Amino acid sequence: MKLIAGVDIGNSTTEVCVGEVSGSGGFRFLSSASRMTTGTKGTLPNVLGIRSALEEAMDAIRRPVSDLDLVRLNEAAPVIGDTAMETITETIITESSMIGHNPSTPAGAGVAAGELLSIRNLWKGRPGTSYIVFAENRFSFEETARRLNQYIPELDICGLILQADEAVLVENRLSRKIPIIDEVKHIHKVPEGKMAAIEVALPGTSIRMLSNPYGIATLLGLTAEETRQVTPIAKSLIGKRSAVVIRTPNGNVTENVLPAGEITIRGGQTVKVNIDAGAEEIMQSLASAGEIEDIEGQPDTNVGNMFSRIKSGMADVAKVHGEDIRITDILAVDTLAPVAVSGALAGETCMEKAVGIAAMVKTQHLPMQKIAERLENELHVKAVVAGVEAVMASLGALTTPGTTLPLAILDMGGGSTDAAVLERDGTVRTTHQAGAGELVSMLIQTELGLKSRVTAEQIKKYPMGKVESLFHLRLENGAMQFFEDSIDPRYFGHVVLLSPGEMLKIEEDIPMERILEVRRDAKKKVFVRNALRALQAVASDHDLKKIPNVVLVGGSAEDFEIPEMLTEALAEYRIVCGRGNIRGSEGPRNAVATGLLLSYIGSRT
Amino acid sequence: MEMSEQLIQVITRTVVEQLKNNEELRNAVVRRYADRNGQNGRTGVSSLAGKTRMRPKHSYEGSVRAQKGTDPKEIVIGVGAAFQTEITSTICGIPLSDVLANVKAGIEEEGMTSRVVKVLDTSDVGFMALQSAKLSGSGIGIGIQSKGTTVIHQKDLYPLTNLELFPQAPLMTLDTYRKIGRNAARYVKGEKVTPIESVNDPMVRAKFQVKAALMHIIETEQLDPERGMIVWDQ
Repeated sequence: MKLIAGVDIGNSTTEVCVGEVSGSGGFRFLSSASRMTTGTKGTLPNVLGIRSALEEAMDAIRRPVSDLDLVRLNEAAPVIGDTAMETITETIITESSMIGHNPSTPAGAGVAAGELLSIRNLWKGRPGTSYIVFAENRFSFEETARRLNQYIPELDICGLILQADEAVLVENRLSRKIPIIDEVKHIHKVPEGKMAAIEVALPGTSIRMLSNPYGIATLLGLTAEETRQVTPIAKSLIGKRSAVVIRTPNGNVTENVLPAGEITIRGGQTVKVNIDAGAEEIMQSLASAGEIEDIEGQPDTNVGNMFSRIKSGMADVAKVHGEDIRITDILAVDTLAPVAVSGALAGETCMEKAVGIAAMVKTQHLPMQKIAERLENELHVKAVVAGVEAVMASLGALTTPGTTLPLAILDMGGGSTDAAVLERDGTVRTTHQAGAGELVSMLIQTELGLKSRVTAEQIKKYPMGKVESLFHLRLENGAMQFFEDSIDPRYFGHVVLLSPGEMLKIEEDIPMERILEVRRDAKKKVFVRNALRALQAVASDHDLKKIPNVVLVGGSAEDFEIPEMLTEALAEYRIVCGRGNIRGSEGPRNAVATGLLLSYIGSRT
Repeated sequence: MEMSEQLIQVITRTVVEQLKNNEELRNAVVRRYADRNGQNGRTGVSSLAGKTRMRPKHSYEGSVRAQKGTDPKEIVIGVGAAFQTEITSTICGIPLSDVLANVKAGIEEEGMTSRVVKVLDTSDVGFMALQSAKLSGSGIGIGIQSKGTTVIHQKDLYPLTNLELFPQAPLMTLDTYRKIGRNAARYVKGEKVTPIESVNDPMVRAKFQVKAALMHIIETEQLDPERGMIVWDQ
């Protein structure tokens, strides 16, 4: 009778599994436990986490740790992942030609075109000309309404632009209904005497005239050539609730492509690709380069800095230098980031194109042997490094009920997505791919314009609801949930994340539908794409159809929707794919630790 | 500085002289007060006799009891008993008519409507706001004390839990009152409400404690629980 422990050190969690081997080769699993990994994976500080996990597992069967006969550690995959974002376009408004924004309460509805006139100069107005009046916030709503009412009988005032948030207040006091836009921050930049067109849409709809080049041409009387020039203005106003377009001689909206630097991929052949070419182009270049040796980024770009950062990070961990550390894979994803428009009058933002890149650095091996030695000294139990992570994970995954050989696993962690195929004859093929949970968090953060990465992580992890009253909330699938006691008023009207035990509110004002869309989209972009890429790499003849089973393991397999997404995506290839259930009881966790125990028995017989 | 004995003596003499003068001054005042009241200046303490209130009781004769509203867009603003009658500006001197106008404007800008009532049953701002909320068609109410303290409340909450509380009246500005109206209206609409940024000053309490207490007493004196909540459109 021997007590054996399997230990798996992962990027974020350390898992252990304890089993008993009888003299006749019989085998029984006794208990398992998991703890946060202490320190970077593969370094000596890991020992602390391993010890406490072992203690917890042994406590569960009421035996001291010293009763263990053998501790088997995995040969952790020597990869570290990191992510970076590069914005590649910027929108510039010249000569204050446009205001398009979504003030919460514009007033009136409709379209108007006329000459811009300051409220101070109403007396200069001539009858017979249409005017759009603008007023600074030092005029109160009463004053503004009074002055306008005085001039409305003689002047043709057809629209109003306000600096203060008082559109409804002014409208309620006007003798004529006109479209009014408010909250225009930099109103002093509005040029008096120029022609302008203004539009306010009804609640729940968006503008139609000013988001259409011919609409602008109609209102401002433009020629065909001028109409061509205003097309970017129309495009950038799509989806807004209200807008102003001012006709200035050189006014325009331009979309600049920012120089974002180059990536050099050294593989079978060396390929250079510009980041501003977009994710599709980068991924194609990656595929055309063949077997990747190393990837370099242009210095002083976000991506270049990220590449050198993870290389030096790995050098510190593995205590090796220079050529031994290589970036072997990247995953590029197209995304959009809200960026403040330069030259804007109302603080508008525009969704700019950006590319998110995850990279993975690989070294020969991590100093696992040192961890084993330290563990042996501290616990007085024999510790050995045994087995490659992916192989052990496949063995562990095989304990999931309903699986058979050949079996593929997808290990989805924080920094990398790993795949392995275990063939009937025992051969194993493995791959490590960049891009996993952390890239998803980054995409969510940039696309929603969130201030903190923590919020993005939480959005990724938990389902949502909107607190509609103090006694009920609407869940993201449309169902209602009622409460006996009132919900804390701080949550009122907010989108909240339903983490176990408490609600977390999202400070940013983003509709739940939008968050849901971004979250699902980010997960699909990263995980579905990476799963296909990884499985293709390990499948025999790179043919996905030759893989009958895929078992999902690792932290991201515990996600509430990623496994379903993959099941759906892989169903196309007639692959049985689902979340693993190690030993029929552990869920997707503990695969490697279980595999370590199984391999011990295998090596004895 | 070197303190010589001589200097100390000079200072002591001056201080004692000053004290003596003060004593004389006080006695003179007491004497004058006593003469006016037709008494001999025997007691030396001013009398509060006959003075039981700080302000005369306001008559709400002919006032109309406020009814429960049914308009789902309505917010009821409940003002204190002394509001615009005994007290006309907040603790920091903002005219109460401007306060009310700004709260109303904030509500109007968000497309909701407001109704003002005077709360004569209580001067506790939490209860004032809760009772206003219960009268309100939307279930949202705002309570404003005459000294300027404000609470936004919802009809189903406990009195001491509320939607938003603005406890430091001396630090409020008209802009804050505008935003209070705006936020209250957003609660009605079920929108995400961002709490109003407000300044905090730990010395405010010490500076305004006496004034706040006096204003509160004036308000409490004017309570008339028999009449409850009355329509108030000044």
